[in-house]
Amino acid sequence: MSTAKILIVEDDKTLSNQLAALLTEKGFCTAQCFDGQQGLLTAYGEKFDLILLDVLLPTLDGFSVLSRLRKKQQTPVMMLTACGAEEERIEGYTQGADDYLPKPFNFKELILRIDALLRRSMPDKSPQQPSLTLEQDGLILCRSQQQAIFNDQDLGLTPIQFKLLWTLADHRGEILNKPYLSQVVLERAFSRYDRSLDMHLSRVRRKLLDAGLAPERLSTVHGKGYCLQ
Amino acid sequence: MRKRSAFLFRNKGLLWKLCGSIAAGTVLLFWSIDLLVQRTEQRMSHISEHHRQELNAYGREAERIFSEQGETALAEYLLELQERESTWAAVVHSNITPLAGSDISAYFNSGILLGRSTEWKIHLYFEFNPVIEVPFIDKHHHFLIRLPQRMRPGAFFPLTQLLLQIALPLVLMILLSVVLYRHVMNPLRQLEKATRQFSEGQFDVRVKNYLGVRDDELAALAETFDHMAERTGTLILTQRQLLGDLSHELRTPLARMDMALDCIEAGINPKESLDRLRYEASTMRELVQDALTLAWLNNESPTLDQEEVDLNELLQLIVEDANFEYPDHPIQLIEEAHIVLEASSHRALGQACENIIRNALKHSIGQCPVQVLLSKETAVNRASDTGIPEQSIKITVRDQGGGVPEALLNNIFEPFFRVDKARSSDTSSGIHPESTVMTQQCSETEQKKSGGYGLGLALAKRQIIATGGNVRAQNIYSHDQRRIGLEIKICLPASEK
Repeated sequence: MSTAKILIVEDDKTLSNQLAALLTEKGFCTAQCFDGQQGLLTAYGEKFDLILLDVLLPTLDGFSVLSRLRKKQQTPVMMLTACGAEEERIEGYTQGADDYLPKPFNFKELILRIDALLRRSMPDKSPQQPSLTLEQDGLILCRSQQQAIFNDQDLGLTPIQFKLLWTLADHRGEILNKPYLSQVVLERAFSRYDRSLDMHLSRVRRKLLDAGLAPERLSTVHGKGYCLQ
Repeated sequence: MRKRSAFLFRNKGLLWKLCGSIAAGTVLLFWSIDLLVQRTEQRMSHISEHHRQELNAYGREAERIFSEQGETALAEYLLELQERESTWAAVVHSNITPLAGSDISAYFNSGILLGRSTEWKIHLYFEFNPVIEVPFIDKHHHFLIRLPQRMRPGAFFPLTQLLLQIALPLVLMILLSVVLYRHVMNPLRQLEKATRQFSEGQFDVRVKNYLGVRDDELAALAETFDHMAERTGTLILTQRQLLGDLSHELRTPLARMDMALDCIEAGINPKESLDRLRYEASTMRELVQDALTLAWLNNESPTLDQEEVDLNELLQLIVEDANFEYPDHPIQLIEEAHIVLEASSHRALGQACENIIRNALKHSIGQCPVQVLLSKETAVNRASDTGIPEQSIKITVRDQGGGVPEALLNNIFEPFFRVDKARSSDTSSGIHPESTVMTQQCSETEQKKSGGYGLGLALAKRQIIATGGNVRAQNIYSHDQRRIGLEIKICLPASEK
């Protein structure tokens, strides 16, 4: 995954260079464009795994680039917007964008989100058939029937809750951050005050606890994410 | 605004005024003009006094000549008179003889008239002049004369008629138009003046007061203008204030970042300085994002009602996070009901509750717990005439941080409001700890506690309004009337399942 190619379309050269340097340091391959037209041509000409797209760009703004790009390809796009407040409105504009990150942002958050997006879009390195059932310490997840059983009790999860629990169980012992879970489970961009993910998790946890799961097995790691032991 | 424009159309003052003045006024005007013309015509139809005397004198003269000098002299006189007045004149003898044994009324014994008396009116609409008669004393001889042209009355009648029927209504209608114009234009002119002043930056200009006791469509327009001026003015001023406060708030972290950079360059505690830089940058980032959100909520007044929100779960999550973030402050969540709001917004309510609870925790003193109470209240809504008890959802957050001076209770929802800034003289225990000046020596957690408070409640209030609710603050008093804490009550419409 670390050899992923990322196209940065950002007219502020300083910020673009900083981003490129930091991403290269993290092991990504980067290309830079400083205006919309150039960005679109580059995106058409080469295959990228992810495009970081600024909204305010010379020659062609980010939304236009996105809509033209979408007519040809489905490369994941993360919009970098300078108007962080109007999230509801941005959502309307960015139909077709896979994520949006309001400026100013910090690199840690950007990496988290890039990671989440790439994990969602890039096929696993091991192309083996994903297993249909998971079984760990009394928890049985059956993907074909969307059924979760703990201690022989059916938990009665909704499809989203099942997906969440499956994702957590699939990465057992790993702390999964919220941007990633939001991308993979809810299939939408994460935003700081959005509590839907927490709510789904809280419902899953309640059902598991009711069925007799030890409370420490599904833990909230504050500031980081969730983890199923 | 829709209500207001409905009001504009409902109030038909101007219509009635126009109906009254134009329709009724015009009818009245033409009726009176007609009456006036008739009267004038009547008055102008009489032969003038001295002409009447002249005609009578002709008659007497003819009678005198006839009785004293005989018929020949009379003929001469008549000839001379006809020439002089260029008219026709004659003297005739009348004798009424009843036929076929019929009777004659005594009325005719005193004679009959062959021409018009000098006292009678002349029909001005006849082209020719009538024959005037002056009877002799014996009533059976008559002096007849076609009215000489020079004596014909109503010489000015056509002109008068012209004046009365065209000039007078013209003048009156012009007057009416001027009055109406002034009546309509005065408020419009005021409005124009006010609009110009407003565009020049005088946001406190209002029109309604200049219009006196008027209550019509134009007054409604003025009211709407005032309403707009009020809203726009407030918006511009708060925005200005916000910008000023924001740049002020950004200055502190910027200064600290500069210092941290200098420290790194000088090699003093580079690790600590880097942490400082990172922390200050995140403070600024949050501040900028909150300010943008606030500006968005203020400018666009969005309605956020797309999602279903389980309030119990939301509050549990927030309280759990708060417990983690403020491990030293106990927090109690009391759930009196299970409430799922149907049309609301997670993000808005989440941020609002989080900010209010954080604020309470920030101001809590020592181990006094912060209480979060979720309840459902039923109250008869007096505003609606249905009398059906209305349910509302209440989230009450109580802290024991000393409260806020009573007069400033509503101001805490303003951006960057600080109790000490508004009332530096207040030295009672009511001052929130946020008013204490932050120093570099503050520990990181203490700074976190006081950082970001400037917009928290302002944002919370606007988020709640955007979801259709409202929020109020009141002080909590102890038994001995000491202010001990602050209670913030969120009231949400009960659109639950």
